[in-house]
Amino acid sequence: MSVHEQELDSLRRELKDALPRWREMELETDLWPRMLRRMEVPPARFGWLESVLLALAAALIVVFPELLPVMLYHL
Amino acid sequence: MKGNLFLRAYMAGVLLPTWILLLVLGAVVIAHLTGHSLPRLQSAIVFPMAVVPNVWGLWNLLYASMHLSERVSIGVFGALLPLALVPAGVGLAASLGLDFYSVRHAVVVLPVLMVVYYLAWKYAVAYFNRVVGVA
Repeated sequence: MSVHEQELDSLRRELKDALPRWREMELETDLWPRMLRRMEVPPARFGWLESVLLALAAALIVVFPELLPVMLYHL
Repeated sequence: MKGNLFLRAYMAGVLLPTWILLLVLGAVVIAHLTGHSLPRLQSAIVFPMAVVPNVWGLWNLLYASMHLSERVSIGVFGALLPLALVPAGVGLAASLGLDFYSVRHAVVVLPVLMVVYYLAWKYAVAYFNRVVGVA
């Protein structure tokens, strides 16, 4: 082994020692179950229930227009 | 994205009422410019400007910190918020002498607000939470 290779080998060892081991950098928790749970959640859809609720709320505001400032007071 | 969960949840909750407040203020300015000045505006704006956004943020923080997403939908959780906000709003309006808001108004507006809050939380706040990696 030449002097140059020995220096490189020494440098390589020092760099390796300076870096933290991979085991110490591993995550404490498994992220895959959380990812699966997120994938299983269906996207929010504007269904018939939401349409009915919104129509009822709008009808109440039309019937009682004095409620509009009260509503804005809470938004 | 990790860390600062409480701050992210709070900010995601605050965002929508802050935007709505801008729209309301725009409407108020237009009303003022067209000669329809609103009496006691300074007193009336206190609740939607200072209380409502902060309560939304804290409510969302509560939802995220207690991991309630596994037990209750965010829409239903948001729909419960008017049960606390409406009495507080009536109380503040009474103490500030705002005559446009009475207990009778509160009783009628409560179910409407619960519906509006349900939709806002189910779609808007849930979206903001997903964007910032909360719940």
